[in-house]
Amino acid sequence: MRKTYGKPLPGMKLADLSGKLIVLEGTDGAGRTTQINLLKPWLEEQGHAVLDTGMTRSPLAGEGIRRAKEGNNLGRVTQSLFYATDFVDRLENEIVPALRAGFVVLTDRYIYSLMARAIVRGMDTAWIRSIYGMALVPDAVFYLRLGLDALIPRVIFSRGFDYWESGMDVFPGHDMYENFRTYQAALLAEFDRLSAEFNFEIVDASKDAEAVFSELQGKVGRVLGGDSRKEYVAKKYERPFEIVGDLWRETNVSELEMLLRSAAAHVAIYGYADAGMNGNGNGNGSGHRVAQAK
Amino acid sequence: MNTAGNMRIGPFEVFYPTMQPFERPRTNGGQQFPGKLFVVEGIDGSGKSTQLSLLHKWLESRGYGVVFSTWNSSPLVKDTTKLGKKKKMLTPATFSLIHATDFADRIERSILPLLKAGAVVLCDRYIYTAFARDVARGMDNKWVRELYGFAMKPTVAFYFRVPLETAIGRLVTARDGFKFYEAGLDLGLSDDATESFRLFQGRILAEYEKMIPEFGLTVIDATLPVEVQQAQVRQIAKTHLDRAKELRIRP
Repeated sequence: MRKTYGKPLPGMKLADLSGKLIVLEGTDGAGRTTQINLLKPWLEEQGHAVLDTGMTRSPLAGEGIRRAKEGNNLGRVTQSLFYATDFVDRLENEIVPALRAGFVVLTDRYIYSLMARAIVRGMDTAWIRSIYGMALVPDAVFYLRLGLDALIPRVIFSRGFDYWESGMDVFPGHDMYENFRTYQAALLAEFDRLSAEFNFEIVDASKDAEAVFSELQGKVGRVLGGDSRKEYVAKKYERPFEIVGDLWRETNVSELEMLLRSAAAHVAIYGYADAGMNGNGNGNGSGHRVAQAK
Repeated sequence: MNTAGNMRIGPFEVFYPTMQPFERPRTNGGQQFPGKLFVVEGIDGSGKSTQLSLLHKWLESRGYGVVFSTWNSSPLVKDTTKLGKKKKMLTPATFSLIHATDFADRIERSILPLLKAGAVVLCDRYIYTAFARDVARGMDNKWVRELYGFAMKPTVAFYFRVPLETAIGRLVTARDGFKFYEAGLDLGLSDDATESFRLFQGRILAEYEKMIPEFGLTVIDATLPVEVQQAQVRQIAKTHLDRAKELRIRP
């Protein structure tokens, strides 16, 4: 059963969200988009259906946010709530349905970026956390961490300084470079705090894109591999008649017995069926390994 | 939470800024500003807008700097709300959030600075409308209240209390048909718009009743003649206007 950080939204059923929710976080210029563009085709090659999503891409609020950011009159509370609207629209209409259909959802930023931006702008931390209470707890958060020294050249030599990425709405003065440094440093500090609180897996984003990609491949593979078997068993266990039919065809009797026993043990221990096979050391995505291990 | 000071990030020592503490709702009563904030609440057809516009005329005639702010009117946000309503894209959660966004923009760029400048601000609907509607749509009571934590407490929140049937009677004769979200048709309470409106407004009415003691709403009997209600409203407003600035210029 998938969890939320606080109270789930009314009508949102968490029971059958069998897909995987994988988050890429990091400050501006850390290479998140590049990595998602590499990960998506790689996952699809392996036969996974992939949804990629990211900030301001909601049909409801994306355009409105872009228009509001063109001016200089978007306040900090309004900004925080506009982004929350965008997030929830995507959560309800894209992320949750995709997870229900068994997709791998790759999201470019998640609530952590939104919280960091709001907190750096002086918003109350408890307030912003309570708003995002309905957010699903992801299967993994990969934090592409890039220090300020590495970040600056990337920004300068790619797209230049952006008003909002330089925190011009937060800090006094007209010096975009100084404000960029101060704002991004404050964001980094906030990310580091969130990292501990929400168990981010830190990926050193100062390496070249290929090295980061291969590190992410390993990590994403682990998230998907370990759990596809677990999910399979959990699902079959809920429908005992099909277990016999399916497993009989592809495995031998002793393996079937073992699967059933371990699934039952997990139900007994954890009280729910999707506790998984990982704890037994059997969960590695292959039914035949179980027999070998025995 | 955010304290100023230098902080080490990798090889850098940076200044981490202190912002003004976020303004919290109940610690931030309208009273501490020189301006005054009067809001009207009630279900559709309660006559609250009529009453507010009469109050507006009276305050202006007495020389106060009066500014009027209506629900759903932020120039930055209202197009998004319109899009969501027109295309029926809004869920209870996004309905709630987009209205909060609209409200936040009006607070940040208009209501708050005006109150600081000493204006009399009149709001047709305030956070209580959001609480009533969102909870009637199934949103969590506490979540919605926390969401609007940035709002300042009004000087007076008038609640125009009217029985459901009276309000519906006024509306049915006044206009043709109800809008999708207005009638709560997104909730699937009934396929018939009038019936759905009735059920939905009934829920909203129940929420308002609960909020009277919770927020100390000032109840006005909206079945009384317009003039009688207005006399009460003016009487109450007057007691709060003793020290308000009388600006001879209309803003």
